[in-house]
Amino acid sequence: MTLSRSMRTCLHSGRLALLAILVSSGIVLQILACALYNNWWPMLTVIMYLLLPMPLMFFLGSNSPSMMSNEGDGWVNFTKFLTGASVVGSIAIPSILKHAGVIGWGALTMELSSFVVFGIAILWLIQMNGEDEYSSVF
Amino acid sequence: MENLALLWGIVGPGVSGAVFGAGWWFWVDAVVCSAVQVSFLHYLPGILASLAALMFNAVNKDEIGYDYYSPYGDDSEWRVKLWLFVAYVVSFVCLAGSVGLLVQDALTDKGPSVWTGVAGVLQCVLVLISGLIYWTCHSED
Repeated sequence: MTLSRSMRTCLHSGRLALLAILVSSGIVLQILACALYNNWWPMLTVIMYLLLPMPLMFFLGSNSPSMMSNEGDGWVNFTKFLTGASVVGSIAIPSILKHAGVIGWGALTMELSSFVVFGIAILWLIQMNGEDEYSSVF
Repeated sequence: MENLALLWGIVGPGVSGAVFGAGWWFWVDAVVCSAVQVSFLHYLPGILASLAALMFNAVNKDEIGYDYYSPYGDDSEWRVKLWLFVAYVVSFVCLAGSVGLLVQDALTDKGPSVWTGVAGVLQCVLVLISGLIYWTCHSED
């Protein structure tokens, strides 16, 4: 079933809006995890969140082989390495804080759920970007 | 099978980064939760393991193969092999060192706790495995 052009742009902007809502709820969860307990240690995870989308920012806009392809520059592989490390880091930092007794269970669950929300948002962004390449011909 | 190789080429570096991060974060957890000050000696196996993982990823895989056209080989081949040999020696030494530190920590009560020793061994193993994973996937192209 082919959608008319205006319908498709409407859907597209709807998806973008939903994506923005996801990202902002992730940020809200992260800040709540600190503010509700008046303990600002979990903000350390923000460093990991900054590292996480870096490969996407570098390679999503450019013309070089995309992340989903097999050809790898040394640099593409290295940025994937960084992504993997920062994914583990954003799970690890809250867990270490909990293990050391600096934060409680509530803050831990909020941190982890913020991570899950960000992960869903990034995966959806990648999928949307991949779709664009196919539908741009029409 | 072909699909598996392609998939590995795509996610391999990410998995390797995740394992490397896991190794180091276990160590950070042990240092943070340790009741006593962890001496620099205990940091060494982890640092050396990361160095070894870096070393054996730095070689270009093409240079290791035999040169069929000249039976005496290229002059530079022995250098690559020496580099790899040193990397392997360093990695095995760190593994042995971290296990030794674990045993030492388990035996005495005054030093760092058992968790520090266990985390040290985990760190060493995971970092080396991460180096191996990275090596297998960057040679796919």
